[in-house]
Amino acid sequence: MKKKVLAVLLATAMVFTLTACGSNGGSSNSKNDGGSSSSQTEESNEEPAGDAEESTDGTEEEPAEDAGSTGEFNPDQAEDAMTIEEVREKNGVEVPVDSGKKLGVVMKSLSNEFWRTLQEGYEQAAADTGLSIDIQATTDEGDETGQQTMTEALTTQGVDALLMSPISDSNLTSAVESANDADVLTVNVNDGLIAEANHYVGPNAYQNGQLAAEWISGKLGDEGQVAIVVGMAKAFAARERTAGFKDWVSDNNSKLEIVAEQNADWDRQKAKELANTWITQYPDLKAIFCNNDDMALGVVEAVEESNADILVVGVDGIGEAYESIRAGKLDATVDSFPFYMAQVAVECTLRSLAGQELPSAVATPQALIDSENVDTDAAEIINWTAPTYTK
Amino acid sequence: MKAIYTKYKREILVFLATIILGVVFTVLNPNFLMWRTMLTIFQQMVLNGLLAVGIMFTILTGGIDLSIGCTFAIVGIAVANCCVRGMNPFLAIIIGLAVGVVLGAFNGFLVTNLKLQPFIATLGTMSLYRGIAYVVTGGAPVTNVPDSFRNIFNGQMPGGIRYYVIVMVVVFIIAHVILSKTRTGDYLYAVGGNEEAAKLSGVNVRKTKYIAYIASGACTAVAGLVMLASLGSAEATAGIGYETNAIAAAAIGGTSMAGGRGTALGTFFGALLLAVLKVGMVVINVDSFWQYVVTGLIIVAASYFEFMKGDLAAFAARHKKA
Repeated sequence: MKKKVLAVLLATAMVFTLTACGSNGGSSNSKNDGGSSSSQTEESNEEPAGDAEESTDGTEEEPAEDAGSTGEFNPDQAEDAMTIEEVREKNGVEVPVDSGKKLGVVMKSLSNEFWRTLQEGYEQAAADTGLSIDIQATTDEGDETGQQTMTEALTTQGVDALLMSPISDSNLTSAVESANDADVLTVNVNDGLIAEANHYVGPNAYQNGQLAAEWISGKLGDEGQVAIVVGMAKAFAARERTAGFKDWVSDNNSKLEIVAEQNADWDRQKAKELANTWITQYPDLKAIFCNNDDMALGVVEAVEESNADILVVGVDGIGEAYESIRAGKLDATVDSFPFYMAQVAVECTLRSLAGQELPSAVATPQALIDSENVDTDAAEIINWTAPTYTK
Repeated sequence: MKAIYTKYKREILVFLATIILGVVFTVLNPNFLMWRTMLTIFQQMVLNGLLAVGIMFTILTGGIDLSIGCTFAIVGIAVANCCVRGMNPFLAIIIGLAVGVVLGAFNGFLVTNLKLQPFIATLGTMSLYRGIAYVVTGGAPVTNVPDSFRNIFNGQMPGGIRYYVIVMVVVFIIAHVILSKTRTGDYLYAVGGNEEAAKLSGVNVRKTKYIAYIASGACTAVAGLVMLASLGSAEATAGIGYETNAIAAAAIGGTSMAGGRGTALGTFFGALLLAVLKVGMVVINVDSFWQYVVTGLIIVAASYFEFMKGDLAAFAARHKKA
């Protein structure tokens, strides 16, 4: 009996030690965030093959977050990144279309609204250009090898360009290498990231977090406690959105105080439970930023239940988030407009195929949606002009 | 006193460990000891507790039900669709429970009639049920569940206790009564302890296993209802990975993975311990990845105690002689 009690005590002591380690680990991480060495940044800014020389100058900019993984490609911090407007300005508005070209698209699961909308964008581009675009998607977001097989099959079928949204940062690596060997243009659309791809086209996730921070700061008169619900950290977008948010707060000497930051695995229920705990622990909590809308909608339920006055901001701009904003529940979301993202991706692909010089990363439009512009047409919000295709 | 200790020593140990954890968290952040934090802990153990007590029934018979996370999602979707179309909420609840029972019974069919290994059979239905959830919804969430349904579970009693906490306690009491006071309970333990011996002594093994899987489906359905009431929306991706936490709660509470041993009370405390851990980690603001590390270590430690129990008894006996 005594021994067992002793054993339980020892186990608890172990837990105690571990939690202590945990808090230490957290604080040393944040130190890293603040003063990351330039050598680390240099490594983490490895560019895709075509633009190698441009990346070697100047390595300062924003501190590289999660600097632990070396040699990581980071389109958000790419030196030569441009918006689509800048690309059009540099290369002329006309997009040459060679009707003989075939494009292949590989996406994640169509069970997710985001990817369905992206598909609609590709279909729109196919209709506008008159090109055939072969769109493939996996059945679920975990089928990494299935996606690789699809990509390889498209290469063998002789497409001229591949537009890929890989499930992880690594599952398409070998498929992209063989595509590059076969002189297929490789374009990485949204995340995950492919360091070996010729171009990256997608929203700037870092800026995305900054937009959210700026909005919250404006609404709160730049003071108050804020918490962050992060997504699964293996996702590039989760790390960047959080980093963008935090850096905005520190770079602007904001009086917003980030009191808590926890992972909820992109899960609505887990996010709600997290928010429940926070609301009891931080009676003065004024805003919660979530790495995606799904989690934000869970947090909204917790806030509604407690009748607390807390701003909730999500990311993605899914239909349910728009509804929730209209209903006065969710406060804002950052939409990256997949319908237009796909069209920008096709436009960039065609420009590159026609021999125009494109940057390693093209940032696609995104905007913060709140009750004021929730009913405004998306094309108007981002000032969208359709590409001018010349055949 | 001694008798109670011998009978429930595992439960008491887990409960003590929970208290000690609570003390640790309180030392690190005195806020932990607020009534509202306690409420949060009980609220957050509900889903895992319901899933754990369900999966415990299958584990008792020497089986496992890996499909609970997916059954959970299907029940949520089915009931959400009924409610959104204006069905009477109580009728919708009955339909939800029926869906859980049917899905559980199908697992039972695979395990008993087709004699599949429970792990493989429910691994199959895990994918099958998830697929059904995707097909039915087309991946889009079902939203705007009316308050008439939500308040049944999500409403509050004076003191801030939500009805779904009571629902969970009732489910645990029912499980406890079935396991300790009825013949069905004896059969469940007998089948898990030694299936051949149980069969030879006239236990209807097939029926007993069916009951276990149906109980698992039913408890999961209740969890699905609670989730729906709490979120007001259902989606096909709900509950992914929840089976692992449920197994963990049951294992910490002393349920033997080999079958034949485990109690509803132990599983309750197992789920409570995990909830204390989860909320405590957030309260003291530990990086959430450490939560996985600590949870893992606690599961390993708990099964080690299970293994050591025999050894320790022998060790103590030897010492007494000397």
